[in-house]
Amino acid sequence: MDLFGSFSLLLAFLCALYAIGGGIAAVRTRRPLLIKSARNAGFAVCVLIWLAMGSLAYLFLSDNFSISYVVAHSNRTLPGYLKISAIWAGQEGSLLFWSFILSIYVFSALFTYRGKHPELMPYVGVVMAGVQLFFLAINTFAASPFAVLGTAGAGGALDVIAPADGRGLNPLLQYPEMVIHPPMLYSGYTGFTIPFAFALAALLGRYPGEKWIHLTRRWTMIAWCFQSIGVLLGAHWAYAVLGWGGYWAWDPVENASLMPWLTGTAFLHSVMMQEKRGMMRVWNVWLVFATFLLTIFGTTLTRTGLVSSVHAFAQSTIGPWFFSFIGLVLVVCFTAYWRNRDYLRSDNQLDSLASRESSFLFNNLILLVACVAVLSGTLFPVLSEWVQGTQISVGAPFFNKVNLPIGLFLLFLTGVGPLLAWRKTSMESLKRNFGWPLLLGMVAGGAGVALGLRNFYVTICLSLCVFVTLTILLEFYRGARVISARSGANIFSSVARLTMRNTRRYGGYIVHFGIVLIFVGISGSAFNQDKQMDMPPGAQMEIGPYRLVHQTFDSVPSVNYTSERATIAVDRDGQQSIMLYPERRFYPSNEESGTMVAIYSTLKEDLYVVYAGRSPETQAPVIHAYLNPLVKWVWLGGLVVVLGTILALVPNRQPVLALRAVAETVPAGPSPARLPMEQPLQQNQQDESRG
Amino acid sequence: MVRRGRIAGALAVATTVTLLAGLLYAQSTERAKQIGANLVCMCGCAQILTACNHVGCTMSSTMLKQLDQRVDGNSSDDLLLQSFVQEYGPKVLASPPAQGFNLLAWMIPGLAFAMGLAVVLAVIRQWRRRFELAPAGGPPISSEALERARRQADRETED
Repeated sequence: MDLFGSFSLLLAFLCALYAIGGGIAAVRTRRPLLIKSARNAGFAVCVLIWLAMGSLAYLFLSDNFSISYVVAHSNRTLPGYLKISAIWAGQEGSLLFWSFILSIYVFSALFTYRGKHPELMPYVGVVMAGVQLFFLAINTFAASPFAVLGTAGAGGALDVIAPADGRGLNPLLQYPEMVIHPPMLYSGYTGFTIPFAFALAALLGRYPGEKWIHLTRRWTMIAWCFQSIGVLLGAHWAYAVLGWGGYWAWDPVENASLMPWLTGTAFLHSVMMQEKRGMMRVWNVWLVFATFLLTIFGTTLTRTGLVSSVHAFAQSTIGPWFFSFIGLVLVVCFTAYWRNRDYLRSDNQLDSLASRESSFLFNNLILLVACVAVLSGTLFPVLSEWVQGTQISVGAPFFNKVNLPIGLFLLFLTGVGPLLAWRKTSMESLKRNFGWPLLLGMVAGGAGVALGLRNFYVTICLSLCVFVTLTILLEFYRGARVISARSGANIFSSVARLTMRNTRRYGGYIVHFGIVLIFVGISGSAFNQDKQMDMPPGAQMEIGPYRLVHQTFDSVPSVNYTSERATIAVDRDGQQSIMLYPERRFYPSNEESGTMVAIYSTLKEDLYVVYAGRSPETQAPVIHAYLNPLVKWVWLGGLVVVLGTILALVPNRQPVLALRAVAETVPAGPSPARLPMEQPLQQNQQDESRG
Repeated sequence: MVRRGRIAGALAVATTVTLLAGLLYAQSTERAKQIGANLVCMCGCAQILTACNHVGCTMSSTMLKQLDQRVDGNSSDDLLLQSFVQEYGPKVLASPPAQGFNLLAWMIPGLAFAMGLAVVLAVIRQWRRRFELAPAGGPPISSEALERARRQADRETED
């Protein structure tokens, strides 16, 4: 099976080469047979990568310890679902997994647009195959997951060595969430390849109009949605496994996942300027390029050890491959832009500063500044070492200080932007849309101060959260009230109808509401408390309203590990509510340990209990308890963001009632009155279905 | 009466001293936490000192003990941090000191914002000028052009 996997990868590499060569020839000659042939080669690349991935999965599930990669990341007693997640636990497998997810996107794009857009798709095929070729080249020549363990035998033949058992999976990765977090994050990272391929293809082929934007809108949203899920699952994994009491440490790998999310978010907003007004063509193309480059840069950070990270599971010497690829992509993008820059010329004009257009400009500015702040902070230790020759650290205190004001300004724009009209917003409209939300937001901040809130940023955050939530609610209410008045339906069903008529707009509002919830959760971290003490059985600790009583301490054997576990009874305000079992697991296969945090989570706060080991002096178990307010709101907010994005992906529903009413008034023949209403709708729907 | 007053005064002083002692101790612990949040564990994990809990860490407990001892010594926060820098090098600080070359780290986001803002304002100004220069009147509009404009208006005001 290892030979089958290796052969599949090699064949995929050759097919990718052909897809590029054939694609370029097809672009030049416009011969239909060549176009079809290059496209079929693209399909073949994907299928061959799937076969290679299937082979690796089989090798893991069948405990084939003649394969070096399987030995390094699995063992016989590892549960089956973790054997699957072990596929992407190391360098070689995670690169193949990247190719695998990318191939699903590529196959879907090639299949969706087969026979369509003949001027654009050959270019798209070449770009996508180029990206695939890079990853296949690494997997084939530098980091093969199918390398066999062995020694040189007589006559130069390879004597295969198969150890009785593997070294097992990194304990930090032995957590159910790790089965879904990397696939989600990789789906985000790789998904941005599709808009990148279309943007570059449109530029190279000078494809007219804003078609590529319409075609890639859904792909971008899908990638963004996966990236959001991946970032949040990563934060949740850090919270539940690393045991330091928080969910975001501004670790380089966390930053690497955040940066393309920030530029992707900027793109999702600015793209509307191009769709609606034909503006910002150059900017949008470069935002897509930057987002794609940041996804590659993100994975480079993880794999090359450029900066030290607690998450870097897969460091090796393949850095030069990645840096060369990033350099090559930059050169290609810049050359394509320079040679075709006249194609991107747009007739930008702005009627008023108080308009949706200018709010998008500011939104993009702030998102980009946030990205620059994260990028510069992440790379500054490297820069400092080059320039000063001394190593410095850039950690959470720096990022928190720099990004807090940026984040709050972004939150403010989240409330302001959507309610500004395209072209120009009148003073009357500004008053109507923002008067009450602004006033009530200020009242909320004032009430917070009156009730003892003394943290400046938290007070501002509270005001802004109330302001943004009210602007969103008012927007739903106003629209629903109109529908309710016309149709007689109640306000709730009117809200549902309103949402389904323009899913993109109202899905976007729901995403914004999710962001508000996340900000509420983050603001809670200003009030975190923690306490650590030696707690032999019978000892007690109080933190906030909770009293923790250590009842028993025992050793629990399991198939893959043994754990030391504390049983802690928790009373809240004198009433026993729950039992918590913080533990530390020891994995004999690789002689490593891992922490399992016990969390009691409510909307108000999380009681987060860590068994931190034994005291060196007394040998008593050391319990570290944290009281983290509002953390659950972060996860709820994430869920709302995802639901909002999914809603925005659903095609709009036609306003049936209005059309039916018009049809009923004109009983016979094709009504001329219907045409002006239906034409734009049909046009829009065609555009949507193309996307 | 005088004696009773003296006893009451002594009790008040004792109570105040006791309360202050408790307060000082509490402050000291809280202070250690605050200072520890500005230091990095030097075991190589790159985590904040007070947050480092990874299994098998040999450095964090030693550094935390050092921190507690130095906090008890009533030195200023800056002196305390400097004592760690002298012992472990500048990498022990969780954020770069705002001086010399390291000042650049703090300035980059602000500079990026200032430059970006200047660009955005210049862009807005240019776009506004184009709008103001747009000629009024012109040749009669064909019905196709009018229909196209209607569709564009529909699209632009959709959301």
